[in-house]
Amino acid sequence: MDERDAAVVAKAREGDREAFRALVDRHSRYVFSLAHRMTGNAQDAEDVVQEAWLKAHKQLSRFEARADFRTWLHRITVNCSIDLIRGRRHREDAHDPADLEQGPLSERGAEAQPTPERMAASTQISDRVNEALGLLTALERAAFTLRHVEGMSIEEVGEKLGMKTSATKHSIFRAVKKMRNALEPFVQA
Amino acid sequence: MGGRGTMTQHLSEEELILHYYGETDRADQPRLDTHLAECGACQAANEQLRRVLTLVETAAPVEARPGFERDVWARLEPQLGGNTGSAWARFFWFPQWALAGGVAALVLVAFMAGRFSGGVPAGVAPDGGAVADASPDRVLHAAVGDHLDRSQVMLTELVNNDVDQADAFAGEQERASDLVAINRLIRQSAAQSGDAGVADVLEDLERVLLEIANAPADVTSNELSDLKARITAQDLLFRVRVIASEMRNRTRTDREAGDRLPQRPPIS
Repeated sequence: MDERDAAVVAKAREGDREAFRALVDRHSRYVFSLAHRMTGNAQDAEDVVQEAWLKAHKQLSRFEARADFRTWLHRITVNCSIDLIRGRRHREDAHDPADLEQGPLSERGAEAQPTPERMAASTQISDRVNEALGLLTALERAAFTLRHVEGMSIEEVGEKLGMKTSATKHSIFRAVKKMRNALEPFVQA
Repeated sequence: MGGRGTMTQHLSEEELILHYYGETDRADQPRLDTHLAECGACQAANEQLRRVLTLVETAAPVEARPGFERDVWARLEPQLGGNTGSAWARFFWFPQWALAGGVAALVLVAFMAGRFSGGVPAGVAPDGGAVADASPDRVLHAAVGDHLDRSQVMLTELVNNDVDQADAFAGEQERASDLVAINRLIRQSAAQSGDAGVADVLEDLERVLLEIANAPADVTSNELSDLKARITAQDLLFRVRVIASEMRNRTRTDREAGDRLPQRPPIS
């Protein structure tokens, strides 16, 4: 573990509020970026950050001192993101099972489409990729991120998201196709 | 899925995706490998897919807005449960209370008066002695000024001098620990009275003080350099100086205003 973290985590485990605050200061931006990658929008990412820190605080006594704090926090954040996505999925299923397949979680509608103007204005690869990710539905994004970035197997992704393996596979296929359509112009040989 | 069987049938996109992730069914693997080795079109499609997916990995993460950590803590702290007691309880419990001595007492008196600017007379002077006509403004402004001066000295030594030695850094850590609790009280007082400019500087100062106080005893010179660079990058010393100077001006104004007031008769 990062030496600075080790000392601060040790203090935080003893109930030192300021030490815990130092951890929050040090890692919140990382947690936010991770949560944003999973959820696809800032508001959900902020909710995940709060939940992740609450869980971390509650479970700090169980944290293995030799482990890496950020890796531990990363796992908590991914799980909190999944909880949020699954919870929303169940709630939205009650209204319309296809809801989550209709567009990005909080950027649905024409605004989310990368218009030629927006594409032309954006010169940064990161912007292009994030725009492309913005085209995925919540489930596609979660499945793709867990497979592509977190390196989980498709079967594990399905378990995490409460989906059958075949449905998970198709979510990932759709996600990759969308990414490919959006980004292929920028990787032409 | 298409592409099964003969060499003339190209691999489907789904097959290429599973291949990329190493999730092709074991039974299908030899057929895929053979086809990819021999089919230029599928090799090109495979390469194109690999480039797209690699591009995704190179994207910089979305960054949180400036000051995000502060907001996180503000929302989080009330939900954390009381394993460290109230701010007041913690303040009184701190061993540095004794070390902070007069300054903390002054802040406390002024804080109890409930105002960061304007107020009724209290009875403690900046040197810790009782003075009947010192206003809480004057007391508080002097106390804040004193605290900022002490913080300035510590940060200046840290940034400009060689404190890479463990002993020297341990000394700075002790001073930073002393300053944290007082800083928090002043910051809260400033925030409650709507003095956002002072509260912001004190918030940044507190973060740096905490970082110094919580650093491991065997902090490396690289980590120290990082810390110094952050202090410099934030212009923290300059901003602390500005606020300290403003507090001195306020103290001077308070004193002049106090001198113009008629002497109150002693309370009998």
